[in-house]
Amino acid sequence: MNLSVNRRHFMGLMGAAASMPLMERAGFAADPFTFQASWINDAEFAGYFLAADKGYYADEGLELTYLSGGPDVIPESTIIAGKADLTLTTPDTTIKAIVDQGAPFKIIGAQYQKNPIGIVSLAKNPINEPKDLIGKTLAVPPVNVISVEAMLKISGVDRNEVNIVPYAYDPTPLIKGEIDASLDFTTNVPFTIEQAGEKATSFLLYDYGYTTFNDTVVVTEETLASKRKEIVAFLKASRMGWEENFKDPAASPPQFADSWFKGTGRSVENEIYFNTAQKPLMEAEGGIFAMSEEAIEANIKALAEVGISAKREHFDTTILEEL
Amino acid sequence: MATETARRRNTLRNAAIFLVLWEVIGDLRLVADGALPSPSAILIALWRDLADYPPHILATFEGAFAGFVIGNLVAVLAGILFAVSPVAARLGRGLNIALFALPPIAISPILVLTFSGMTPRIVLAAIGCYFVTMSATITGISQTDRRMLDVVRAYGGSRWKELRLVEIRAALPAILAGLRVAAPAAVLGSILAEFGGGGRFGLGAYLIGSLGRADPGRLWGIGLAATGMALIAYGICALIEARITHSTRAVNIAATAPGEERETRPVTDTLIALGSFALPFAIWWLLLKLMGTPEMIAKTPAGVVDYLFLAPSAPGAQSRLLAALAETLPMTIIGMAAGLAFAFLLALASVVRPGIVRGFMPIALVTQTMPLVALTPLLVLMLGRGPSVILWITISVTFFPAFVTLAQGLSMVTRGALDVVKAYGASPMTQLRLVSIPASLPWLFTATRLAVPRALLGVMIAEWLATGTGLGNLLNQSRGYLDYGMIWTVAVASVLLAVIFYQIVLIIERRVLRSYGMRPAD
Repeated sequence: MNLSVNRRHFMGLMGAAASMPLMERAGFAADPFTFQASWINDAEFAGYFLAADKGYYADEGLELTYLSGGPDVIPESTIIAGKADLTLTTPDTTIKAIVDQGAPFKIIGAQYQKNPIGIVSLAKNPINEPKDLIGKTLAVPPVNVISVEAMLKISGVDRNEVNIVPYAYDPTPLIKGEIDASLDFTTNVPFTIEQAGEKATSFLLYDYGYTTFNDTVVVTEETLASKRKEIVAFLKASRMGWEENFKDPAASPPQFADSWFKGTGRSVENEIYFNTAQKPLMEAEGGIFAMSEEAIEANIKALAEVGISAKREHFDTTILEEL
Repeated sequence: MATETARRRNTLRNAAIFLVLWEVIGDLRLVADGALPSPSAILIALWRDLADYPPHILATFEGAFAGFVIGNLVAVLAGILFAVSPVAARLGRGLNIALFALPPIAISPILVLTFSGMTPRIVLAAIGCYFVTMSATITGISQTDRRMLDVVRAYGGSRWKELRLVEIRAALPAILAGLRVAAPAAVLGSILAEFGGGGRFGLGAYLIGSLGRADPGRLWGIGLAATGMALIAYGICALIEARITHSTRAVNIAATAPGEERETRPVTDTLIALGSFALPFAIWWLLLKLMGTPEMIAKTPAGVVDYLFLAPSAPGAQSRLLAALAETLPMTIIGMAAGLAFAFLLALASVVRPGIVRGFMPIALVTQTMPLVALTPLLVLMLGRGPSVILWITISVTFFPAFVTLAQGLSMVTRGALDVVKAYGASPMTQLRLVSIPASLPWLFTATRLAVPRALLGVMIAEWLATGTGLGNLLNQSRGYLDYGMIWTVAVASVLLAVIFYQIVLIIERRVLRSYGMRPAD
């Protein structure tokens, strides 16, 4: 890092010495680029934090603005409104918006090759597969109800035999047995359950037919055309951040405790658990963010089950080829 | 004096009994298998997390303070305008009621869609302040001593001079009392927007991060911090008020639109009424045009009409909205009635057994500022996920302002009237039936109008967090499906619903009070 900054600095001086201030502006000023995350600062975004801290974005000539997410933040809205250049989304909502409302989105990469959402239950009252849900109460965030319905349908379980109630971010009702299972990031909530002295068991919707990505990398068509160079630079730096992060998933969260994770109310141990658990869901043969043809095909097939007619053209793999 | 000290001691004793009871229940994990933490557990969690709090409290303070300043500035200016110009007052009526009645839960996602950064927090905090201070300003100005105005006029003073030299000064105590009530509202408004808005700091942001920990002590600690901030904000305003006016003066929240006595002119009146109805829509439209937010996410009034009635998907949208309304409406009416009934009983109890009610008050106050999302696990564990949880949440958000209003009404019953029935040997129950209850009717209506938007808010929150039904669920689901048309439709529908309820109560109120020969309380 130091080397490249020094080189940059040196060349800047050279530029000044050659009295070409205009050229220096054009050549070396960092391009502003804004990234909208899909949730509050947790290990789900560890790779971006590391890339920012290590200066990978600066090395790629980007001046990154990082926007945290939250329950009322709809990532897609931020890029339509021009408040951010690039965001992470759930593929079902993004493609539904393209198909139903003609939204000008392109999916240019995927953070999670396997969607981390799954059915989490207590080991003493285990739900090991979709069929176990019959006659049980399952808490699902209203946003994800269609995904669960798809998984049930694919598994041949009648949706009316499962009592679906809202999930309100707090696993207490599951730990206390008020509900039998909940839909959540399997990379995250089992940690809390174990902290509360219970054993958790879980399975991914992905493994029962709902074969989608998650945190799909999305830009508007306009940004794709006008800021292609910056998008490539962002993904390049982010991929480096993630690779560095996964060298030792336990190493990076403590570094962010007083910076990125400050004030989130979550513990560093929780983030380490999260970071470790998400590694196998993110790593891909083509590198982080890869979208293989088979994986895209599997997404299209799974989304068809919930009545969303995804097409190959909604995915643009040309950026990935430039990384 | 002796009775005053005894009364105070009684209140303290009752509050202490309540706390000890809570401590025992919490420590023995008697409620919901320990989901209700004991006061000591909450304090321990607060102490443990102490280092986390400063940046969050600071951020909440920033949002709330900016909203407080802006909201109250607008409110005072609007109050002066409405007091000076009756036409403006009648034109602004629709906007005022809409701002009073809008459920923050439906507005928050729209604010986050339209604005960025701190703006949603500031706007929500400002909206929380506006109505209270605006009404207080009008009340203050309209209660100016006419003789002082006559003096200014006699010396040839202009309308501006009257305003500057007399009316604004006369209104100052009322305005300051309004600010005092507005201060906690600003804190709560900011916290609500922080919860959803994606910023990193603020008590609301801390809450969303902490929810996943299954740590009730932390959640109640955050609630306590929110309560503390609201109380301090209230206290600071009360101090300033006392300093300036040298006397504390209780002004309850007026929930009526200003003065109605005037000659009727059918054509002008109809035009003004139409204008008053159209103004909120015009402002909504203008704001979006000025912001330049893309049409896909920011729906103008025309966009909502198109979504709901003209677009190919309109029939589907209509049926989803109607199905949700069919679930939400009955619960709102039942919840409001139950909340008012509880408030009324409590107010009566405060007349018969004041000690017990006063001991209960500090705890009731905490429930008013405790974010409901933090209480949801406890509530579903205790009450399940049926209509009863909706009902209890609705009661808990409606009863408090209604109780304060009703208790004030009951305490203002004319002594003479009571003495008459007492002289004839009436029991306390008969006194209540014959005198106190009829005399407090105007206050009951005021309480009902206060309860309308809160009941809708309570029902929608319960539906969103616990039952997965009605408007609350529809709103949340629409956010997930990027169904922007529906997000705006639900927001508009809930505001309209609250306004319609409010108007119905107002009409009944006028009828009933006229037949009793009474005037509305405000």
